[in-house]
Amino acid sequence: MIAVLRSELHRSFTIRSSWISLAGFTTLAALTGWLSEEFWMLFAGVGAFGIAVMLTAQHYQHRTIILTFLGQPHRLRVLAVQCLVAILFALLLAAVSGIAVAWSGFGRQYVTTLAVIPLIAVFGVANATVVRRPLWLLAGYLGWLLFAEGLIGQLQEPLPFTSFLLAAAGQPRFQLALLAWTAASLPVAAWFIRRDLAGA
Amino acid sequence: MIDIRELTKTYGGEDAVRDVTFTAAPGRVTGLLGLNGSGKSTTLRILLGLCRPTRGAALIDGQRYRDLKRPLREVGAVLEQGLSHPGQTGRAHLVSQALLSGTSRARVDDLLEYVGLAADAHKRTGEYSLGMRQRLAVATALLGEPPVLVLDEPANGLDPSGMAWLRALLRDHAATGGTVLISSHLLSELELMVDDVVIIGDGRIRVAAPLASLAGMTTLRVRGGDQQALAEAFLARGASVDTDGRVLLVAGLTPEQAGDIALRLQVPIYELVAERQHLEDVFLEATS
Repeated sequence: MIAVLRSELHRSFTIRSSWISLAGFTTLAALTGWLSEEFWMLFAGVGAFGIAVMLTAQHYQHRTIILTFLGQPHRLRVLAVQCLVAILFALLLAAVSGIAVAWSGFGRQYVTTLAVIPLIAVFGVANATVVRRPLWLLAGYLGWLLFAEGLIGQLQEPLPFTSFLLAAAGQPRFQLALLAWTAASLPVAAWFIRRDLAGA
Repeated sequence: MIDIRELTKTYGGEDAVRDVTFTAAPGRVTGLLGLNGSGKSTTLRILLGLCRPTRGAALIDGQRYRDLKRPLREVGAVLEQGLSHPGQTGRAHLVSQALLSGTSRARVDDLLEYVGLAADAHKRTGEYSLGMRQRLAVATALLGEPPVLVLDEPANGLDPSGMAWLRALLRDHAATGGTVLISSHLLSELELMVDDVVIIGDGRIRVAAPLASLAGMTTLRVRGGDQQALAEAFLARGASVDTDGRVLLVAGLTPEQAGDIALRLQVPIYELVAERQHLEDVFLEATS
């Protein structure tokens, strides 16, 4: 497990697109933080989800996951490590991008957001393990966020990103909803990660 | 030792491989040959734990891949013409793999030198040529100093000097007691490096035998003053004789034996050529 974690961290920190994604999502979340703390919470969550998707799905996209599975044939352990790596990147993103928000007197929101960030990151890893194509997933969820959660749900229904936003705001009902979304996504990912890896 | 036992893999009711059985022994290079879609890669993927068999077993030193304690220290694999993230440098790729296999960083630099990539170690692998990616893949496989090497089409993209390098590397590995299982469609190249041949066609084993027993057979082309007399004499010695209308095609005799028979018959010989059967002939015969 430790060897896989060290390897995955090294891989993630030495791939340029990982850094670009991290920098891009962090900058976006930090800029929205100037507008309001709610915007920052939403974009920190979207960013955490996005970076988790990028880190996980690019492994499948470039088929380097095969190398990881050769080193660690027990794939659930690989999934666990990918969750840990995504959590670390997501926390880094949220912690850095939210400094201005915390400085402006919204320390409680900053802390609750950091507390629920791991859940949305794990949700991203689970989704990427199933779909395995980052652009499809990010574009699909962007549409979902705008239309299903924004226009139809008015950011009030216990759907994934709304749950994150309101969980970060400290609402226990939505913290449970986010926990439920993440918990429900993991068995699906655990099933999908067992799929045969056929030829390219 | 690689031991494939009655391996069957079914996709949607179709058998990709069926009852495949063969072994790859230590100290020998075993070539797995087959046309595209014949089941070579499926067999190797099952062996490496990337696909699950429908039936049968693929074992390395008596264990399934997933049961190996330190898999990268026991098996090195080259798959899919070099797997690496195009945004990662060659050296960073090897360091990531070294961390995974528990190998020192010093070995990374040694291997980069060994595979001829030291000068390009800090280039991103997306800028590598196919041959360079293959060399990086071989370095990745060798990181953990594994006794067993499994290589799927490793010669693709290598130039002639790269081919010679790979051939020497695999022969040296086998000479030190390692097990090598290599799949390739480059038959003339394989003929120069393998000890044992496994030919797979339509998911089934067609031939599994030492190369020496397959490719060593010769056919004689004989043209003499009296073809009829020569043919009868060769047949009487237990040879099999065929003709293309111009020459006799004789199997089962050495050139010396054929010459001696002609001399005894006092039949002049105008042409006597020993044609060695090549791996390509064996392959085409087995898969036709």
